[in-house]
Amino acid sequence: MTSLENQLEQDAPQKFSFTGTGSEYFGIWIVNILLSLVTLGIYSAWAKVRRNRYFYSNTYVAHSSFDYHGNPIAILKGRVIAIVLFTLYNLAIRSSFRFVGIMLLAMAIIMPWLIWKSLQFRLYNTSYRGIRFGFRGSASQAYMKFLLLPVLTLFTVYLLAPFTHQRIKKFQHSESRFGASYFSFNGKVGEFYIAYLIGIGALIAGLVAISIVFGSGLMVFFAHSRDVKPDPSIVAGFFKFIFALYIWIFAIFPLFLTLIQNLIWNNTELAGHRFQSNLKWGKMTFIVVTNILGVICTLGLFAPFAHIRYLKYRVESMTLIPDGSIDNFVAASEEQISATGDGVADVFDFDLSL
Amino acid sequence: MISASYFDGKTSRLYHVQLHVDNGMAQVSGDISREISIAELRVSERTLYAARRVTFPDGAYLESSDHVGFNDMLATTGFEDSLVVRLQHSWRAVVAFALLIVAFLILSYMFVLPWAAKVIARNLPASVETTIGMGALDFLDKNVFTPSKLSPEKQDSIRTRFDQLHSIQDGGPPVELVFRSSKAGANAYAFPSRQIVVTDQIVTLLDNDEELMAVLTHESGHIVEHHFTRRLIQSSTIAVGATMLFGDVSSVIAGIPTLLLDLKYSRDAERDADAYAISVLKNNGIPVENLALVFTKLKQQAKGNDPVPYLSTHPLTEERLEQIRKAE
Repeated sequence: MTSLENQLEQDAPQKFSFTGTGSEYFGIWIVNILLSLVTLGIYSAWAKVRRNRYFYSNTYVAHSSFDYHGNPIAILKGRVIAIVLFTLYNLAIRSSFRFVGIMLLAMAIIMPWLIWKSLQFRLYNTSYRGIRFGFRGSASQAYMKFLLLPVLTLFTVYLLAPFTHQRIKKFQHSESRFGASYFSFNGKVGEFYIAYLIGIGALIAGLVAISIVFGSGLMVFFAHSRDVKPDPSIVAGFFKFIFALYIWIFAIFPLFLTLIQNLIWNNTELAGHRFQSNLKWGKMTFIVVTNILGVICTLGLFAPFAHIRYLKYRVESMTLIPDGSIDNFVAASEEQISATGDGVADVFDFDLSL
Repeated sequence: MISASYFDGKTSRLYHVQLHVDNGMAQVSGDISREISIAELRVSERTLYAARRVTFPDGAYLESSDHVGFNDMLATTGFEDSLVVRLQHSWRAVVAFALLIVAFLILSYMFVLPWAAKVIARNLPASVETTIGMGALDFLDKNVFTPSKLSPEKQDSIRTRFDQLHSIQDGGPPVELVFRSSKAGANAYAFPSRQIVVTDQIVTLLDNDEELMAVLTHESGHIVEHHFTRRLIQSSTIAVGATMLFGDVSSVIAGIPTLLLDLKYSRDAERDADAYAISVLKNNGIPVENLALVFTKLKQQAKGNDPVPYLSTHPLTEERLEQIRKAE
């Protein structure tokens, strides 16, 4: 290969690809569940490592794959702490309403620290081409972004939500590093407001349309709600309205996800190399809605297939646009990170990835 | 000999290399040359499509997508996949495990969890249930209930009659009746703090001491059987289990089983409480049909049809009447 061809090859956009399959992951999932049950949950930490390894090593860009290095013992420690917190929280909120305030306050103080730790753990344990990722952001910044701003957002009746979202993503992305090189994030607050406006606008437009189409059924239902035995067709009209509402809300969630993922990755750079995310709302909605129906109809057995479909589409919508060779990143000096935060974020279902 | 990509662990440079294994030694040649005993190398687990990795002790590694060549080479070194990997890729094992898991979940749901919850609830210190119940009553007092408008004489006569039933058969402290007016209509509520809230509305609706006693013994059945605490334990366990199984797909999906599966426990609790009420009423010579009359009246008040059984928190009225008729 001549050096000119080499140069062209280096600058060509590199699509991300995902080679995991539902049927193979089904096997991993089932064995993980069985071993976790048999070991009373202890194996679940090893299960998580196997699952993440499978996902990461099947994710490719520029002819090489990612890897996951999480230590199961560290994850197990995190899970024990997570379960203790979860139990305390549930006991507190159900036992006395006086405790709720104290417990919420305690959670508000603990959560930013856990999110911060889990960001560190997750990135530190991810590698690409033998180079580890990492996270530099400080605890005080984490409290600022994950406690102060959300509280302010509450007080502004969520008018600040897009602003907070932008600040959080900026924090996450510009404090992340690949080896010794830092990512940068240029997403503007205005763009987040536009994404939110589109999402909320579509939600409202849909609600209006549904009210016009099915609203008459609803009116009739309320008019007859005092009847001893309402006409079945009137009840059916009511349920059609509710069903349409549900479907629309499920369709809007992927729209929002699509807008935000595209916005975030189209504004992320790593040492001059750019990313592109090209998720389509229609495809995303189709995947999310059919996944939910599939999981329900198979009483859960479709779950691993659903997970893979969703992940594959999200990963494969991404492209790396290199600025020259990507061979020149160097590893940073290493540091050890406790896994506590990672385990807790898992049980409380925080999605901190992508 | 297979082709692979080599990374030195210090930079992101991709070295195109060939890997060759001979006599327990791995030889890397191409953009970089290395020779090392295979005993020092770590091999990643087999998957269908992900590149296979070989990691060196210093953090360098190589990955190869030539699965056939790689497996052949591994076979010559006497390497064996771990048991977990073999199980993951054996469809027989996976199907057998899936059936085992389903059987385990069904057995747990039907028998193990209800039994465990019962044992735990019975052995919990009384102070725990008292705290839970008081908290719930405080909350409802602020939001749903208003002070009762029944005369103190009426309240006392109901209390006296209730105490005479000697209904408390579990040796615990007596059950206390608390009178309230409710925005939610005619009903009686059992609290784990051994209190029963009697609404003015149900006293008016029933207008008959024996029917009222039937309702109150039903509610004391909930208290004696620790239903509230048992269901708290059961639903929390299901919620955690569902989150572990499906939480990584969607938290919405993970919430569905919690709701649906809890309904059976709710209906079971109602049946238990009915059975308890029937036995107490019989012991006190009160006709059991009073309980049946209450259900009929409550049903008329609710105006509608009975919902589908599996989507209902209470057993169908017809079914409950049948249980009572059998008791007579």
